[in-house]
Amino acid sequence: MNKPHVPVEARRAFTIVGQSVRRNDVLEKVTGEGLYTADINRPGLLFGKIKRSNVAHAKISRIDTSKALALLGVKAVLTHEDVPRFLHYGSPHPRSASCTRDQYILDDKVRFWGEGIAAVAATSEEIADEALDLIEVDYEELPGVFDIDSAQAPGAPLIHEVGPGSNLVLPPVRVERGDVENGFAEADFVLEGVFEGGRPVPAYMEPNVCMADWDGSNKLTFWTSTQTAFMVRGSLAEVLGLPLNKVRVLVDHMGGGFGAKQDLFQHEYLCALLARQTRRPVRMEFTRAETFIAGRSRHPCRILLKQGFRKDGTICARDMKIIYESGAYGSHSPGVTTVGTNAATSLYRCENVRLEGCAVYTNTPIAGAFRGYGVVQAYYALDIQMDEAAERLGMDPAELKLKNAVREGDIAPSGHPIVGRGLEACLKHGITAFDWIAKRTETPRNDPAQPAIRRGWGVGCEMHGSSAYPGIREQGNATVKMNEDGSVTLLTGAAGLGTGAHTALAQIVAEELGVTFESVSVVHGDTDVVPWDIGAFASHTTYLVGSAAKIAAGKLRAAVLARAAEKLQTPTEALDMVAGRIFIADAPDRGLTVADAMGPSKGIPADHLIETGSYTPTKSYSFAAHFVEVAVDIETGLVDVRHVMPVHDVGRVIHPIAAAGQIEGGIQQGIGHTLTEDYLIDRTNGRSLNAGLVDYKMPLSMDMPKIETVILEAAPDPGGPWGAKGVGEDPIIAIGPAIANAIHDAIGARFHHYPITPEDILCALAAQKKE
Amino acid sequence: MKQPIEMYINGEARSVTVDPYRSLLDTLRGEVGLTGTKKGCDVGDCGACTVIVDGRPLNACLMLAVEAGGCRVETVEGLQASPDQLHVLQDAFMRHGAAQCGFCTPGILMMAKSLLENNANPSDDEIRFGLSGNICRCTGYTKIFDAIRSAARQLQETPA
Repeated sequence: MNKPHVPVEARRAFTIVGQSVRRNDVLEKVTGEGLYTADINRPGLLFGKIKRSNVAHAKISRIDTSKALALLGVKAVLTHEDVPRFLHYGSPHPRSASCTRDQYILDDKVRFWGEGIAAVAATSEEIADEALDLIEVDYEELPGVFDIDSAQAPGAPLIHEVGPGSNLVLPPVRVERGDVENGFAEADFVLEGVFEGGRPVPAYMEPNVCMADWDGSNKLTFWTSTQTAFMVRGSLAEVLGLPLNKVRVLVDHMGGGFGAKQDLFQHEYLCALLARQTRRPVRMEFTRAETFIAGRSRHPCRILLKQGFRKDGTICARDMKIIYESGAYGSHSPGVTTVGTNAATSLYRCENVRLEGCAVYTNTPIAGAFRGYGVVQAYYALDIQMDEAAERLGMDPAELKLKNAVREGDIAPSGHPIVGRGLEACLKHGITAFDWIAKRTETPRNDPAQPAIRRGWGVGCEMHGSSAYPGIREQGNATVKMNEDGSVTLLTGAAGLGTGAHTALAQIVAEELGVTFESVSVVHGDTDVVPWDIGAFASHTTYLVGSAAKIAAGKLRAAVLARAAEKLQTPTEALDMVAGRIFIADAPDRGLTVADAMGPSKGIPADHLIETGSYTPTKSYSFAAHFVEVAVDIETGLVDVRHVMPVHDVGRVIHPIAAAGQIEGGIQQGIGHTLTEDYLIDRTNGRSLNAGLVDYKMPLSMDMPKIETVILEAAPDPGGPWGAKGVGEDPIIAIGPAIANAIHDAIGARFHHYPITPEDILCALAAQKKE
Repeated sequence: MKQPIEMYINGEARSVTVDPYRSLLDTLRGEVGLTGTKKGCDVGDCGACTVIVDGRPLNACLMLAVEAGGCRVETVEGLQASPDQLHVLQDAFMRHGAAQCGFCTPGILMMAKSLLENNANPSDDEIRFGLSGNICRCTGYTKIFDAIRSAARQLQETPA
């Protein structure tokens, strides 16, 4: 544990950190010049396509590719007989102990409807598509399991030969603190509920795409839309039997990922193998339907939550069992199960907790990493049950949540003490700024002008860690170079999946060095050039890589000042540097520019300086409380989210507009998964029912509420640069229960699942009438 | 059998020879080499490929290249008046943080350009309705609305 036990560094004033500078990657985005993987071409390019199974669980008894191979323009066809039989990870984190090796590149067994069973490379996409139809496959069908219950029923067909058995992905995760039985015995009342979560997908705008090209030295160059370029390098090298320096992974711009583009996908291995076989570059690009079928969703889940409360609102016991549906492969289930289960130790204080988390294989598409990573599900249940407790107690729900909010010194899910009182600050701020009490107590639910409308107000809370500690011992790296003219180059392996991470990193470097933001350029996305990086996930890039960049910039500053001291004939300690000018602190008129310091002068040749920073973090937690207003139409069942005030504590804010953009985008996805988004699988045969952007309903421009984003710097964490913490995942966690609680406030119906559809609303209203 | 067509792309006459089944989107990205226009779904659901054809915004994936023969086609690459002079919308999108991953941005910029050409002072509801065919999954749209409002104001003060 190298988390510094010192207060967050004091500093005179910031000149660049805290400013919404123009993002260093945005000009290319608004001019169309930015290159995404599908925009890159190579001479002689072939197009790869995947043949997908039309059964959910089967042995392949025969697969005949002869007709496909005979088609003019087809250059290669691969089946399970042609590829290395290598059991690999879906989520290959080399610094994590909890990966699941359960996938072959291609297998003679099919485990979900739409799984890839063969791959084709051809001179055009049309020919490749035609070739897929010419591949003949005979299946020996096996009985399938399409939900948690049938997968866990005695005698259920087993999907995998590996793992602990009983269709479990990993042995159950168990967490126990205090004495739960005793806690329940002391309770004045107990609440118990079953909660269920659907299958939302990230639906990033850029479909998965990659391109492979081999050179004469048997080196693979691989362009791909990934959050984890070094994981792609590692896994491809392992499967292809190559040293790491013979695989070069490139990613420039990418069109979103939201966690899911951390996995190694089947098409990525196949693209590399097709290119090796044909000795030509091959590109594989998912159709939009394939981003559903072969992408990664959030884990559907069932949660049994039981809590004991005292009359004063104290929680005296918490017992939770959470079952995540992993789909046909393990992917991120070990991490999701561990993080989601441990999350329930916290948020609302309770000394006696007993938690169990499982992940279960089913013959359905793969669930993986997705913004919120198991915590969305756990806190949806926990926060809604707090709302129920408030109702039972006759207390205001925000007051009850404030009373129980996690605070300074409490043991976090990661096992180390919470820093600061971020959640309390968010709740207190929102109660006042949203005018919560008056809205809840003085505003009529009915609106005379709109007789079918019922209004309601709700609050939901969350906390989320920056970094994947303790599951993964992360490491952030940065190299910062000062060139002979005083310009600065930052080399980072952190992916730019759209959040503005490279801008924040350049701000941190410029601030620490004492140069202008514009003088720092960022090199990224080339595993041959940049320092090793674990990938962009777990809301950690600013926290983790930002800290490494700050360390490197600090060393570089010292080196530059030493060089200037020589030129100025003065001790280094006497010097200061601001905005690219070095001067004697006591005599600010005496100085020189960074360019002069670096350039040649009599007897001193020009130089360039290189420094590196490496950082191994533990974890910080960010906090949020979302206050929402909904309008429920009791005739149509439609829920309109009208107003959201997200109040977030993210420690030191590096770039306010980018941070707000994360929050507002997270709310959009969260509204979707709470009300409309669900990737539906036919539970009788495993078929996908709505793999497209019309049938999978996301909130769009007409659906977005008024959002009044509030960002507090309430609880800076010493582990991040000047106290900065993560923000990427937090918003999607708090918005869900806030909406569910607001719906209850509007119509008196309590929902324990998502999405809450108009049909659910109308059924609940009809049931109320019967009573 | 490939067919020769001529289009006026961003004010320049371009001759290309395309398969009759080739979409305008694939033609722009492939044969013409303008990859700023993005393919998010290829079935007209997402709006990432929005271009302006003879003054009308449409999904380039839903139009065949041969249908665009003789037409004026505007893409994101033609938004700038010159290399160092950005369109007001491009500038506003950068200032307001309206582009995150940027994949939907070219399509939204073209849709917004068309919106402002037809309605110089759109209300908030008109902006929302105008973008209803363009999916953005990163921003929650708030910063995009801000940018379009700001660009509209600026265009009214100093028309382009």
